[in-house]
Amino acid sequence: MAKNSVEINASSNPSTDTSIGFETMRQKKRKSQLTWYVFLLPSFLGILLFMVYPIVESFRLSFFQSNGTIENFIGLANFKLVLTSATFWNSVWNTFFIGIFQILITIPLGFIFASLINSTPRGQNFFKVVYFLPNVTSIVAAAMIFQFVLHPEMGIVNFALEAVGLPSPGWFSDPSTSKWGVIFLAVWHWIGFVIIICLANLQAISPEMYEAAKIDGASGIQQWFFITIPNMAGTFAFLLITGWIGALQRFNEVYVLGGPNGSPARSIQTMGAFIYERGFTGFEFGVASAATYIMFIIILIFTFINLKVSKMKL
Amino acid sequence: MSAMSNKQAERLTTSFKFIILLIFGVLLMSPFIWMVSVGFDRTANITMPFPPRLIPEEVSGFNYGIVFENGRLIASYINSAIVTTSSVFIGVSASLLAGYAFSKGRFKGKKLLFIVVLCTLMIPMEPRLIPLYTMFNSVGLLNTFWPLILPPLINGMLIFLCKQFFDQLPDTLREAAQIDGAGEFRIFFRVYFPLSGPIAATMVILAFIWSWNDFMWPLVVLNNQDLHTVPLYLASFSLENGTSLGGLTMALATVSVIPIVILYLFLQRYIIQSIALSGVKGE
Repeated sequence: MAKNSVEINASSNPSTDTSIGFETMRQKKRKSQLTWYVFLLPSFLGILLFMVYPIVESFRLSFFQSNGTIENFIGLANFKLVLTSATFWNSVWNTFFIGIFQILITIPLGFIFASLINSTPRGQNFFKVVYFLPNVTSIVAAAMIFQFVLHPEMGIVNFALEAVGLPSPGWFSDPSTSKWGVIFLAVWHWIGFVIIICLANLQAISPEMYEAAKIDGASGIQQWFFITIPNMAGTFAFLLITGWIGALQRFNEVYVLGGPNGSPARSIQTMGAFIYERGFTGFEFGVASAATYIMFIIILIFTFINLKVSKMKL
Repeated sequence: MSAMSNKQAERLTTSFKFIILLIFGVLLMSPFIWMVSVGFDRTANITMPFPPRLIPEEVSGFNYGIVFENGRLIASYINSAIVTTSSVFIGVSASLLAGYAFSKGRFKGKKLLFIVVLCTLMIPMEPRLIPLYTMFNSVGLLNTFWPLILPPLINGMLIFLCKQFFDQLPDTLREAAQIDGAGEFRIFFRVYFPLSGPIAATMVILAFIWSWNDFMWPLVVLNNQDLHTVPLYLASFSLENGTSLGGLTMALATVSVIPIVILYLFLQRYIIQSIALSGVKGE
């Protein structure tokens, strides 16, 4: 760039002496620097207004008793209230339980199906399109459909379970099985994403490795275990992180299935739902802000643990 | 002889795999298939048909008639369309400019500012919910579309994807234009913007999906039923009626899902590529 400016100056007015040339060059450089900031202006306006300010303000609010108009400084009382609240810890437990099983089921299952798709010569694109379809439908509509799919009396899942002589659970009508209903829905909705990401990365593994293994006489299963799986470590880490962060923020489907308090008996109330309930049905802004900060910190901790464990560079 | 049986075994495993894939595909699709079937079943309007059946006993558009008659679904579609197109336009434009600057720009603090952008990726919506709510409340913009349109102005993921795309384009393009004396904006709009088609399409698709499916924030800022977006209308219908109106709920779900599915089937190649692209970056 600097070199170019010299060239431009040199070519446009070759007769001027060098000191003037440097002067205009510097001016030009400063002006072009300013132009770059103009490029960034809209995005950074957004960052200031919709990211930095809310994060700082929310931190401040968490030390106040507030309903949006009247504020009283109460120190750490909100944090104490949240951290000693059984309802909050229940929501943490629900969030973790649903998230852990969603991930433990979906990633291996999705990877197996991605491998199967990758190794079939026919209909690859067809399967991709079909498997990804649940993921494009909004989770709200999906939750609405699953209320019926998992309905204890008229749903198709229990009908099928009974037909083969298995016990039929109460799903969303029973606090002891409702979390499994959400997990069922979450696996159904997320598996397409896992498959697409796995497929993209499976196809990026160099075919030479497989050829070398074939020459050494490795079977298909051996190749899968010793070439494919180690090469997919980064992908699994990525899915683990995005999946877990998404799971910690779970709200939409549990709101549709159980309302803000996660009925039945708060069995599916997630952290997000707890925050919504306190903030926007109770208008306890201070308490809700403290809860969001605790959730934010939990998310950050897990992001860093995940990054460390998977040794990913960001 | 052994080569022959090897080939046969291979063919057998291939068809076995194919059948497993097919069965799993049907399982994944079964909620949709059942949804469409119940929606068209006249008897489902009174009680859900049991045992579940694939072909409705009495095929009729009765449930769909009710869904459209009430008008709220179409209104919510219009609302969603307004919100989504505006927010996508704003978010994609701002991110194109910023992504280009982070890729080709030479200015002080570039690295630091880019780290700030990456940090925004780690900030979830929840801790911002209440301050954003009070902010839009204080300027009297609750129950308008502005709270849904303006915050997508900043989208770290779009900026990141856009920067990566421009990184792949050669600098020689701008050097040539620079020698001709073009300013930075001219260079961007004349040289690089016309080349940004593929990444712009990806950004539009991703921003569209995020905005169209957004739920928690709209739920907080839109109390007025007339302004409800599609997900909000579905949720309020579902919470009001639970599982008491099977046929109607399924018809409503069908109508809400079908346009997206059609769009998806037309654009599937690009959509799947976009999703894969936003995911592969984790590598």
